[in-house]
Amino acid sequence: MRKILTLLTIFVFYTLVVSAQKASIKGMITDTLNKQNLSNAVVSLLKAKDSVLIKFVRSDKNGNFELKSLPPGKFVLMVTFPAYADYMYQVNLTDTTTENTGTVKMTLKSKLLEEVLVRQKIAAVRLKGDTIEYRADSFKVREGASVEEMLRKMPGLQVDKDGNVTAQGEKIEKVLVDGEEFFGDDPTMATKNIQADAVDKVQVFDKKSDQAVFSGIDDGTKSKTLNLTLKEDKKKGYFGKVELGTDFNNRWNNNVMANSFKAKRKLSVYGIMSSTGKTGLNWQESSKYGENNNIEYNEDGGFYFSSGGGDEFDSYGSFGGQGLPTSWSGGAQYSRKFNGDKQNFNGSYRYNKLNTIGGGSTVSQSILPGNVFFNRETRNAESTKQRNAFNGTYDWQIDSFTSVKIKANGYIGSQRSVTSYASESTDNFGNNVKSLRTTSAEGDNSSINSNLLLRHRFKKAGRTISLAFDEQSRTTSTTGFLNSVNQFYDKTLLRNVDTVDQKKINEIINAGYYTRLAYTEPIVKNVFLELSYGIRISNSESKKLSYDRNIANKYENLNDSFSNNYKYYVLTNSGGMVWRYNGKKITTSFGGDIAQADFKQTDVLRQTDVKYNYTNLFPKANFIYKFNANSRFNINYNGNTRQPTIEQIQPIRDNTNTLNIAIGNPNLKQEFRHQFNINFNSYKVLKQRGFYTYASFSTTTNSISTNETTVIGGSSVGTRTYQYVNLNGNYNGNTGGGYNFKIKKIDLSFNMGFNASVFRNNNIVSTLNNNVLSSLKNRTDNNSFGINFGTYKYKEKKYDINYYTQISYNTSTSTVNQSVKTNYLTHNHNIYLNVTLPHRFEVNTNVEASFRQKTNLFSGNNNVIIWNAYIGRKMFKNDKGLISIRANDILDKNIGYSRYINSNIIREESYQTLRRYFQLSFTWNFSKNPGGSTMP
Amino acid sequence: MKLFITTLISAFIFFKASSQPQFILKGKIEFEKKTNLHRQLDFEEDESWRNMIKKSMPQIKTSYFDMYFNGNKTVYMPGREVVSVQKVPEWFDGPANDNTVFTDLDQQMFSSQKTVFEDVFNIQDTVRKIQWKITPDTRTIAGFECRKATSVVMDSIFVVAFYTEQIVTPGGPESFAGLPGMILGLAIPRLNTTWFATKLEMIDVKETTLVPPKKGKKTNIENLKGQLKPVMKNWGKWGDKNIWQILI
Repeated sequence: MRKILTLLTIFVFYTLVVSAQKASIKGMITDTLNKQNLSNAVVSLLKAKDSVLIKFVRSDKNGNFELKSLPPGKFVLMVTFPAYADYMYQVNLTDTTTENTGTVKMTLKSKLLEEVLVRQKIAAVRLKGDTIEYRADSFKVREGASVEEMLRKMPGLQVDKDGNVTAQGEKIEKVLVDGEEFFGDDPTMATKNIQADAVDKVQVFDKKSDQAVFSGIDDGTKSKTLNLTLKEDKKKGYFGKVELGTDFNNRWNNNVMANSFKAKRKLSVYGIMSSTGKTGLNWQESSKYGENNNIEYNEDGGFYFSSGGGDEFDSYGSFGGQGLPTSWSGGAQYSRKFNGDKQNFNGSYRYNKLNTIGGGSTVSQSILPGNVFFNRETRNAESTKQRNAFNGTYDWQIDSFTSVKIKANGYIGSQRSVTSYASESTDNFGNNVKSLRTTSAEGDNSSINSNLLLRHRFKKAGRTISLAFDEQSRTTSTTGFLNSVNQFYDKTLLRNVDTVDQKKINEIINAGYYTRLAYTEPIVKNVFLELSYGIRISNSESKKLSYDRNIANKYENLNDSFSNNYKYYVLTNSGGMVWRYNGKKITTSFGGDIAQADFKQTDVLRQTDVKYNYTNLFPKANFIYKFNANSRFNINYNGNTRQPTIEQIQPIRDNTNTLNIAIGNPNLKQEFRHQFNINFNSYKVLKQRGFYTYASFSTTTNSISTNETTVIGGSSVGTRTYQYVNLNGNYNGNTGGGYNFKIKKIDLSFNMGFNASVFRNNNIVSTLNNNVLSSLKNRTDNNSFGINFGTYKYKEKKYDINYYTQISYNTSTSTVNQSVKTNYLTHNHNIYLNVTLPHRFEVNTNVEASFRQKTNLFSGNNNVIIWNAYIGRKMFKNDKGLISIRANDILDKNIGYSRYINSNIIREESYQTLRRYFQLSFTWNFSKNPGGSTMP
Repeated sequence: MKLFITTLISAFIFFKASSQPQFILKGKIEFEKKTNLHRQLDFEEDESWRNMIKKSMPQIKTSYFDMYFNGNKTVYMPGREVVSVQKVPEWFDGPANDNTVFTDLDQQMFSSQKTVFEDVFNIQDTVRKIQWKITPDTRTIAGFECRKATSVVMDSIFVVAFYTEQIVTPGGPESFAGLPGMILGLAIPRLNTTWFATKLEMIDVKETTLVPPKKGKKTNIENLKGQLKPVMKNWGKWGDKNIWQILI
């Protein structure tokens, strides 16, 4: 079409040089045949060199025009009128030209058309559309030659010494590989690095802008483009990294990762062995070498990240537990797209092994009416776990309305652990319990989950239906031993010795099936209704058998009071309805689910059945108001019924910790929790200031709380039993806010904030004194208030410095013994500094310091100062290599530490953790791209 | 060329009189603005992140603007709302998406109201001098034959415009003007955005419609640029995109 139009333009060339005072052009426009003067015709003056518009004027009602005050130069005068062929007229103007074109005669386009079409056909012969296509195999080049060499042989293409390609005299701006950019926008990247024999076709065309491609509208952005289509079997390459780190003693961290791609297939493998806490792929590695990240999004366009099971094998690759870890892990992942990318398969396998050794100690205080028990415990633990896991996903976009997704994952694992404890508990009156305890367990576990999701979108916008099937099963079986000796003293007099020597066989099997059907319907503009219905069937079995050792030294005598075997069957029917309004400023929704749950609990050992049924309600409401793109207010309410767990109901005793025994309660009712959240946040982009504040409050009716009985008199002083009971009056609230800003002049950012929380917990504290039980309702209030402050400065590729501090004050009181107060102050400081030095060196260091005020109970030194430092140098081309020395915990002061306050028990725990080590590391990133040559 | 002149002469012989086309001096044009959101993501490096975001938002965001014109005055403002199921997240949408632009082509002055993050600005300045390159290519938009012109604005932003001589007012969407007719089609590849007229209503446009927007903090292009540059300097490619989007 463009060609036709070009040809339709009539070129009439006049060259006139006339002298006058000011440059101007005038004339008259008329129709060739009719001799009718044309008004409103556009007369444009364009620069001859590049067609830039200098000035335009429209002809008056008599067809006259005049362009005044024109600059000197070479121009083209263009006269245009709808449906008429363009009229071109070349003029040379000096400062003083007065040009008169006389009468410009215009011709209707329709009169020229037929003759011209003939020429167009001739011109089209050598082109395939707008594209010139070369078949690569027709141009013979030597073995291993690059694409560049092949291009030199192609007619119409020139390659200069720097590798720039010219096609038909125009420079090639872009080189694509299979229609996509190849490692950035340098055109020589592809031509120099891809081998000629990998190429199927070379296409040269004027690439339309991306915009034009999607809209189908040619916006005229043309860049000469060369596209290399690769032979199917040559679309391959790889990249990866090797990292080796050691302290030349017992700390090491070695990783190998590689990813290879071939056409639509991708295979990646990795192997990690580490004694510095790396247990798997971290976040970035996972996106390159692992499965797809679990990024989820909601209907408002928000994103959140969900991680898997949350155990030590699935925590984004770093060890978060207690003790010293040694880990090995390896995995492989394969993915493939087919059927025009409509189908996508992704499968992976992982192996993990983790050994941990470590000990720790716990100090706790149980506050009783008129008495306080202090308990000190030290422990040593050793464990090993391993797991083989698989994961598979299959996506099929059947058409633009329907999609299917099938997921399956599972694992088989084993574990072994031995823990030994020594503890001593003393009360105000000098009663004393000494306990030595060893538990061990060895067993297997496995799990299989699968689900299928079918989604269909209707033509009517907003109408959708989805159907999901879910299957879950999990089994754990362990065999272990419990050995414990408890000695009860009355001051210094030994009153009683209690010994347990048992074999424990535990087996838990859970299986569940879930089906859910959901439908959304647009009711009126911006209002949607969501309806859903689901059925869940869950079967589980819990077997906990304890065998005492008999005279023959065999664990054959079943201990009735510490053995149980239950089967559970739960059928849940649930229905839900949610109304949703999606406006420009307001988004709101309300509705809820109602679920009917039928339980059947079978006691296999005693052959009795118990049935429960619960109706659970889950109301919810949400309201969001958007002030503008960066400020919003949100308030929501969620209510939910929570039924007691199996362990809470199960009326049987568990003696895993012989001084702290759980008792079930078959009469437990559901609790109902109300939760309110409010938050507001605003960020001012131009002023670089932000503010946020939030508050949340939750209260629970019939809250499932504990009734704890401590023996304070008799032969077993210091032993505790606990049972779950329903209580009212528990609540929990917190609020906080923050403000951040930047002082633009010195480019320094600050942030500051506060937080406060209130927590009230009710429980029952009972004491048993020589078979006399007395119970008291206890109320514990925990309050805390904190402030934080931070500042940072950042200069790209220069330095990055950051300081952050948090100070908080905590108080805790229990009504059961108001004379015991636990008030303390904690403050943390964190300094981070990263500097990029010349000669490709980089230094960074950080100090984390935590100070915790001592209390009557927590009298030890709990201050921790950890200082880490790192120096590295990048090497090789493109910084592909890195050599570094890292020092972890230079001061050797790290201790694992946590402090808990809950009801009338206050506990402080410290445990063994990684301390000072130095490590020399080397990292090398490698890659190889399609066709075979190595990337620069 | 000889053949060509012969053709020309023969064409003259068969020429028959036709009525002159109608020229339009005032009316209302509806523009459909389309932005390819997925293309905007293509420079994001993290592939899995990119693909994930792509899934969560529509490929193309469509919005409508109305332009009223009479003589040498135009006013361009947000038009009808689009109800789409998949929302574009605000953080992605970027600034200056609901601009009102009043242009007085006689005075070569414009006054525009733009929401830029938390602030509403009222920008008053002279109409941008655009060096339009005129091409011989044409296409039909909303029933009008339009000629293609191209230009580069703000040093590096390539712009394609299609204008029709049949509408005498030399205006266009946003701050684009200066062609010998009304711009009915506009494409800015770097912003992955196009504006195309969907219809023209030949209605009477009163002086009271053609007034500058009143809201917003008064500023001019130079000041606004000075204010945006330091804020956007750490935003990388998104910073450039935002500045262009605000200043066009």
